[in-house]
Amino acid sequence: MPTTTFSAPSPTVGAQAALRATRRRRTRRAAVVTTALAAVAAALFVVTMMVGSFGLTAVEVVVSVLHLREDPAVDFIVRDLRLPTATTALAVGLALGASGTIFQQLLRNPLASPDFVGVTSGAGLAAVSGIVFLQAGGLAVSGFALGGALLAALLMYVLAWRDGVSGYRFILIGIGVLIFFDGLTGYVLSRAQLFEARQAMHWLTGSVGQAGPEELRLLLGALVLLLPTALLLQRQLRALELGDDAARALGNRTELSRAALLATAVVLVALAVAAAGPIIFVALVAGPVADRLLGPAAGGIPAAALVGAALLLTADLVAVHLLASPLPTGVVTGAVGAPYLLWLLATTNRRGAGG
Amino acid sequence: MTRLRAQDLTLGYDDRAVVSGLDVDILDGKVTAIVGANACGKSTLLRGLARLLLPRAGAVHLDGTALADLRTLDIAKVLGLLPQTPVAPDGITVADLVSRGRYPHQGWFRRWTDDDQDAVARALDATGTTDLVDRPIRELSGGQRQRVWVAMALAQDTDLLLLDEPTTYLDINHQVELLRLLRRLNTDADKTIVVVMHDLNLACRFCDHVIAMADGAIVAEGAPGDVVTAELVAKVFGMACVVVPDPVAGTPMVVPA
Repeated sequence: MPTTTFSAPSPTVGAQAALRATRRRRTRRAAVVTTALAAVAAALFVVTMMVGSFGLTAVEVVVSVLHLREDPAVDFIVRDLRLPTATTALAVGLALGASGTIFQQLLRNPLASPDFVGVTSGAGLAAVSGIVFLQAGGLAVSGFALGGALLAALLMYVLAWRDGVSGYRFILIGIGVLIFFDGLTGYVLSRAQLFEARQAMHWLTGSVGQAGPEELRLLLGALVLLLPTALLLQRQLRALELGDDAARALGNRTELSRAALLATAVVLVALAVAAAGPIIFVALVAGPVADRLLGPAAGGIPAAALVGAALLLTADLVAVHLLASPLPTGVVTGAVGAPYLLWLLATTNRRGAGG
Repeated sequence: MTRLRAQDLTLGYDDRAVVSGLDVDILDGKVTAIVGANACGKSTLLRGLARLLLPRAGAVHLDGTALADLRTLDIAKVLGLLPQTPVAPDGITVADLVSRGRYPHQGWFRRWTDDDQDAVARALDATGTTDLVDRPIRELSGGQRQRVWVAMALAQDTDLLLLDEPTTYLDINHQVELLRLLRRLNTDADKTIVVVMHDLNLACRFCDHVIAMADGAIVAEGAPGDVVTAELVAKVFGMACVVVPDPVAGTPMVVPA
C-alpha cells in the first residue's frame, strides 16, 4: 500500500523552533522531576531504616544493605528487621502509584483509582473470607486477595461493557460493587470468631509491617515484570485518552489496549493489597501529584509510581515512629487522604469534569 | 480512480440497520461533503468508511483491499478521521495534542524522529496554530480548538482525511475559516477530504462533490451545481425552497420558500 504520495512542503522555521522548544522543556521537566522523585524515594527508603529504638546512620544502613562490610549487630537490625518492611513500603508504594494513575487515565477521571472502583474491596472481601472461614494465613491470604481483585475487576468489566467500556459507567458500577463488597465483608466479619475477626480487621486496616517474605517476593517479581510493561503501554494510554473514536482512527486497537492496561493495573494493585492489606488513598493521590509536578496531561507512570513510594514510606515513618503509639500505615494514609478526597470531589464537580 | 470505496455496505447499531446496501466511491483528490437531515445516517456512513463501525454486510475497500483484511495501524497511515467529539485530556497543551497524531507512525520502542517533528510542524503551519503550541486546549476559542484538532489529524499525515461534522459547533465566521482550511489542504497538499456537514450552502460553496442522504440511502450525488435543486432539498430536508446562484461564487444557494 502506498503511503504518503504528495510531496510535502517543508515546515517553516518558526513552527520547527516553537515545537522543538516546547518539546525540549517538557522532556527536561520530566527528566528532572522523575530523577528528583527517585532521589526522594531512595532517601526515605534509607531514613526508614535509620530510625527506631536503635538509631543508625545513613552510612551504616547503606553499607549493610549493599553488603559492603559485615557488622553482625547492624546487619541484624538492618537486613533482618528493617529491610523487609522498608522494601515492602517501597514496592507497595510503587505498585499502588503506577496502578492508580493507569486506572485514572484509562477511565479519564481522577476519582477512578482502584480503591474507589471496588478492586481493592474485592481483594479485601476475598482475603477476609479466607481468614474467617478457612483460617488462611500468609501466602494463602495473598492468593485470596489476588483472586478477589481479579474477580472484582472482571465483574465490573462485564457489567460495564457496552460497545466498549465507557469511563463514567465504569465508575458508577465500580462504586456499586465497592459498597456491595464492603457490605459482604461486614457480614463475613460478623460471622467470625473473635480471634479470626481480630486478624481480619488487622489485615483490613493495611500495614506494610505485615507482609511475609513470600508475599514480598511475589510483589517484587511482579514489579520487575509489570512496571516495564506499563511503560510500554503508556503509548496506548496516550491514544485512548483522546476518546475511543479518535484512538481507533489513530490505529489503536482500543479494546485490546484497554484490557492489557487494566490487567496490568489490576495485578499490580492486587499484589500490593496482598502484601500489605488495603492501604487506601495512595493510589488515588499519586497520579494527580505526579501530574502537578510534571505538567498537565503528562501522565508519567514512573513519576506516579515514585510518588506512591515516597507517600507510603512517609506514611510508614509517621505511623511507626512519629506518633506516640505506632499505628497501622493504612490509618495514616486514610487520615491524610480523606481531606484530599473531599477537595477533589469539590473541585471536580465545580469544573464539571466529574464524568 | 478511487482509493476508498464502499460496496453494498450495511451498517448499524445494536439490532438496527442505519444504512443498508450502500455503494459509495470517494473521489480522489476532491473535497466531498456528505449532507442530510439529522439521523439520516451520514455520520454512520463516515464511521463505516473509517472502520470505526464494522459492516453488517458488504465491505469498505482501501486501495483495493477490504479494510477488514488490513492492519488497523496501516490503515491509519493512509486514512485519518476526526471524530465528532474527540476528548482533550484535562490541561493538555496544543503541542502535546497535535503530537499524539503521530501514533500510527511510532513503534513500541521508536523514539520521536525528525519525520515526526516535520509532520507536526507542518500541521501547525497549515492550521495556523504555531503560536498556540504552549497553550492549554481548554483556554482556546471554539474555532482555534477545532483547528488544533484538525492539526492533530494532519500530523497523522494521511492522504485521505475524513471529518465528522467539524463545523457544527462553530459560528459562521469560523465555519468558513475551517472550510477554507480544508480547501487549502486539498489544493496544496493534494488531500482527499470527506466532510459530514449540515449547512448545504457552505457544502455547495466549498466542496467539489456532494453526497445527499436520506433515511440511510443516497438520494443524489455529484457536483453541487448538478445535483442541488429544489426537488432534492424537498426530498432530503423536507423543506420547500428556491435555489439561486450564490452571488459570490455562483454555486447553488438554498433559500427557504
